[in-house]
Amino acid sequence: MTERSSGRADSAVAAVATDPLRARFHRARVFSWMQAVGIVALLAVTLGTPGFLAGPSILSLLTTVSFIGCVAIGMTLITISGNIMSFALGATVGATAMVFILASNWLGFGPGLLVGLLFGSLLTGLQGLLIGWVRANPIIVSIAALALIYGVAQAFAEKGTIYAEAGTVPASVKGKIAGVPIEFIVFLLATFIAQFILSATRFGRNLFMVGSSFRAAEAVGVSTWRTVTGAYVWAGFFTSLSGIMLAIRYDSANMDYGVAYDYDAIAAVLVGGTAIGGGDGSALRTFAGGMVIAAVQVMLLLRGLRQEWQYLAAGLIVLAVIILQARGSGR
Amino acid sequence: MQEVLSVQGVSKSYPGVVALRDVSFRLGRGEIRALCGENGAGKSTLVKILMGIVQPDSGSIALNRQIQVVREPRQAQAAGLGLVAQELSLAPHLSILDNIWLGSAEVPFLHRRAKFRMRAQQALAMLGLADWDLDRPVSSLTIGQGQLIEIARLLARDARVLILDEPTATLSDADIERILGILKSLRAQGRSILYITHRLGEVFELCDSVTVLRNGQHVATEPVNQVTREHLVEQMLGRSFEDMYPKAAARSDDGVRVVVEGLSVPDALHGFSMVAPRGRIVCIAGQIGSGANMVTRALAGLVPSASGKVTVDGRPISLGSVPHCVARNVLFVSDDRAAEGLFPQMTVLDNLVATRLDACARMGVLSWPRLRRLAASIAERVGVDRHRLTSQSITLSGGNQQKLLFGRALAGARAGVLLMNEPTRGIDVGARAEIYRIMRELCDLGSALIMTSSDLEEIVGIADIVITLYRGRLIGRYEADEIVMSSILADITHPTQAIA
Repeated sequence: MTERSSGRADSAVAAVATDPLRARFHRARVFSWMQAVGIVALLAVTLGTPGFLAGPSILSLLTTVSFIGCVAIGMTLITISGNIMSFALGATVGATAMVFILASNWLGFGPGLLVGLLFGSLLTGLQGLLIGWVRANPIIVSIAALALIYGVAQAFAEKGTIYAEAGTVPASVKGKIAGVPIEFIVFLLATFIAQFILSATRFGRNLFMVGSSFRAAEAVGVSTWRTVTGAYVWAGFFTSLSGIMLAIRYDSANMDYGVAYDYDAIAAVLVGGTAIGGGDGSALRTFAGGMVIAAVQVMLLLRGLRQEWQYLAAGLIVLAVIILQARGSGR
Repeated sequence: MQEVLSVQGVSKSYPGVVALRDVSFRLGRGEIRALCGENGAGKSTLVKILMGIVQPDSGSIALNRQIQVVREPRQAQAAGLGLVAQELSLAPHLSILDNIWLGSAEVPFLHRRAKFRMRAQQALAMLGLADWDLDRPVSSLTIGQGQLIEIARLLARDARVLILDEPTATLSDADIERILGILKSLRAQGRSILYITHRLGEVFELCDSVTVLRNGQHVATEPVNQVTREHLVEQMLGRSFEDMYPKAAARSDDGVRVVVEGLSVPDALHGFSMVAPRGRIVCIAGQIGSGANMVTRALAGLVPSASGKVTVDGRPISLGSVPHCVARNVLFVSDDRAAEGLFPQMTVLDNLVATRLDACARMGVLSWPRLRRLAASIAERVGVDRHRLTSQSITLSGGNQQKLLFGRALAGARAGVLLMNEPTRGIDVGARAEIYRIMRELCDLGSALIMTSSDLEEIVGIADIVITLYRGRLIGRYEADEIVMSSILADITHPTQAIA
């Protein structure tokens, strides 16, 4: 068994040495075949679910996916930068929602929006600074930030939920444009903005370089701490979109809003095919990954399965994707 | 001479490639055989077949005239074959004893037995290391000492044929001397050694005979005392030695480009000064720990603790800031391609333009057509296939990866300063010739090139000016005809001037 598998690995290596394109193509083909089969099967089950294609569940799908999706877009930047993931983004969603409601009650909707976005960006950017400048471990920093955010929020909002004063949030930002929930339009916009940053800006290119090889990035003169901090600022920005949208939808804010969003977000990032080790990935693919995960969750809900089964399904999908990724890259 | 190992008509194909074609040779008892060839010549495949990691399509392997079917590494071990791979395969946190028996087929589930301890001790004694503490963790050893543990591992298993894959590539000269001495003593004990190396000097110093592979085929097996260096290179390359090192073009306007005064790095470099003229290759020679690579790293802005005065074209550059150096066209090619050079998952195109994004961006937004044009022109200059621009850079061969890093450091058409550490380490002869050609092209443009190298043959072949270092201090400076191997070697190993 050992010898056969190592033989296979060797033939792959040798083929790569002489004809990389073909070898990659070959592996990529197997990989994408398995992926395609998986997605088609999922789609079949999903579309075959009674009531899935009916208006209400599609709309609820589009709305649910948007909250998690914006966090996943932010997470994508962190993952590409080589810092794996952040456990604090879910807490940031809740905290941003609260800051937004407080600021809106005090200063009005427009300024509140600005304060909310700024708060989320700075909060996460600060963690980026710790990781990029001090070179602290990203996972530890995010766990510490998670605890800090919950701790501080607890001290400030004893009652748990804070409500928007009547009339603070204009009715025009709730509902739909041309039948599409506004949340989903924001998610789409966030995806395109992130994709533009990644593929068309200098910062984006630096981000890929830092994620691909930190020392090589340093050696070619990329300012690594600025790049990492930048990634976190943007991650915070996209995450705070999610918090603000939740607050608008429910006219209130609660620290429970973003619970477990980090996990769903990283699942979307991985299903989308962004490399967990950094240096490779895209916002568009995370968008697709988020849609797959959300579709499965709605489907399970419609089939009458309880919450626990949704977690199980999300876990299984992520596991399958990670295994496929490892095999696909020949590692 | 009694035959120990015989390889008969071994062939191996991978999808789309023939790695080995009908290769045959014999190895005698107490013989050290060099195995030479460019990267991709089939050396690694041959080693893998001998060690049972890969199965040949046809052909046979005989040990002591008995045909062996080596289907897995354990069988190779039992047959008396042992391999020291290019990278150390030691578990750093385990003791020397544990590392010596690591992976041995003989060891039962629990191996803390006096017998194994004794045999490990004997193996060390054979290497003249009887005084080493078996319980010391391997992490406390240097790379060179680790290499010795790997050899001890093979001796403890009583390997009769030792295969060493570039064992000296990362060692200092003192460690190399030690290893070579040990290998000679193993030969005297009647053991046979298959020695894979890119360094021709070692072939002539150590080996009895040499087998050359080219494109998966056996070219020749000859006694070392009947071949010359030039002949060997020609056999490996299939072309002549003179083409290897292009000489500097004669030019009269050798203006000064880089002036270094009193460059110091704590504990590594003490008051180093030099001048690098336009259009010339300055080579800083020194062993590991001499501080040679600190000079280039400091000039590249990679050493924050460096101090001293450095001017490029009369303008001072601030040490410790890579972006600043890159902006002034002072570019660096690392000796550690994997960790400090390549962006493995990114495309060849992205890798090539990594230092030139500013030129292709407006307000931080990149222009794709401009990036593509720039990458294509760089690829052409360094000889990377244009069709490879969209492949992942990790899929390129070592030589092509190095060309890519050179391309990145070419810095458009402007002349600049190129800093290189070991620019041809681990690269086959063919790609080396290409790299030297690119270096000379840069000289012709008026760039100043500063490189470090531990390969004396390369230093003598390519350098216009040689500066020798010993323990962080400058020992000598040689130019043109003064550059001879013996004085450089003397400087970097026993610097009489420094002691006096």
